[in-house]
Amino acid sequence: MSAALLMCLYALAVAWCLPGPLARLTAPGMSARLGLTAWLTAMAGVLASLVVALHYLLSAALAGWSLLVEAVCQSVTGRACSPLVYRGALLEIPLAVAAAGGALAAVGLAWHYGCWLQRSRHRTRAHAEAVRIAGRALTAVGGAVVLDVPERAAYCVPGRPPTIVLTTGTLAVLDRAQLTAVVAHERAHLSGGHHLLVALTRGLAAGLPAVPLFTRGAVEVARLTEMRADDLAARASGRNVLVTALLTMGTGTPTPSFALAATAGNLTVRVQRLLEPPPRARQIRNWLALATATLLLAAASALLIWLCSSLARSG
Amino acid sequence: MRGFGDLESVIMQMIWDHGRPVTVRELFDELSQDRVIAYTTVMSTMDNLHRKGWLTRAKEGKAYRYTATASREEYSARLMREALAGGGDTEAVLSHFVAEIGGEESKVLRSVVQRLSDRRPR
Repeated sequence: MSAALLMCLYALAVAWCLPGPLARLTAPGMSARLGLTAWLTAMAGVLASLVVALHYLLSAALAGWSLLVEAVCQSVTGRACSPLVYRGALLEIPLAVAAAGGALAAVGLAWHYGCWLQRSRHRTRAHAEAVRIAGRALTAVGGAVVLDVPERAAYCVPGRPPTIVLTTGTLAVLDRAQLTAVVAHERAHLSGGHHLLVALTRGLAAGLPAVPLFTRGAVEVARLTEMRADDLAARASGRNVLVTALLTMGTGTPTPSFALAATAGNLTVRVQRLLEPPPRARQIRNWLALATATLLLAAASALLIWLCSSLARSG
Repeated sequence: MRGFGDLESVIMQMIWDHGRPVTVRELFDELSQDRVIAYTTVMSTMDNLHRKGWLTRAKEGKAYRYTATASREEYSARLMREALAGGGDTEAVLSHFVAEIGGEESKVLRSVVQRLSDRRPR
């Protein structure tokens, strides 16, 4: 019982207190990949703790079940139990209620999450299919499709086959080198499996919108995957080409209002970190802080789970 | 040809190009000029497109005449809206390079670039 409580407290503490400090560490995107690992480790740790807590709660409730049943049966058949049995049974009632509530909530959330992921997969596939029908294949870039619209956009849709979507608006403003950089960025998303990270974390945020770790985490994971793809594209095509591509895409012509909120505030950070990377010493400090945080999070979850299992064994 | 999906694309392009209701026979005749294809393949592909909502059809004699439910531009615009809606109302997982940005951030960005290029001329 105390094990369940301990795990719950740990999960709550991480879920509410961690997002702020961790976001400060990952916001500049100095080590995008490590930042991703840190967020995912924190989320996995919290989920694992909650599952373990539920496990202990359920086993405690089941252990006390016989006492509860005995008290009820004895009362029904008109035989009195000792006061000790009654007192024990009385304690078992809230425990059973908590365990049942927890189990129901867990099943509900898991169901909701599964449905969300499935819907998301379906929408993504449908979008890719529609794009391949309505667009024209771009022979110069393998797996790329051009949609005939004036807006500038470039994105990729995972699936079999994965699709890179460009628009005529995009092709009109980018030169060859910039286009290569954009495609390298999208390829990095596809080969890095970024869509999976984004879908998994976004689904959690949709299922648990009140938990800062998941809502903030989903936003940060999406941002960090962009930065990671930027890093790989910059390595392949050169920083300057990538930056000019980002700027041309972002600020080329007057923009439709519905696109405004999509990445507000995000592009500036991305351009800034490419053009003006912080000094080496600061990068190393940031890397060390993130690595420590990740290790601590993983170690704390593992240690707590181990501690609780020995606590439960001893009584 | 990349597979079955590709034929759907080819057939939709043809129907958009025609701009009038067409029969399976008409498209089959056109298609078989430059590839080996079975009539039933064309028919089932068009039936699929109808089922998926890309085509409507009206019976004329024994055959159906198919029309696109929307123009290519309308479909493209719809898809672009879906893509740019982000995580909000669509659950599709798309990774953008960058979405177009508003005037305010655009100004900020230009000043950042200006500042950087002033300091470190390239």
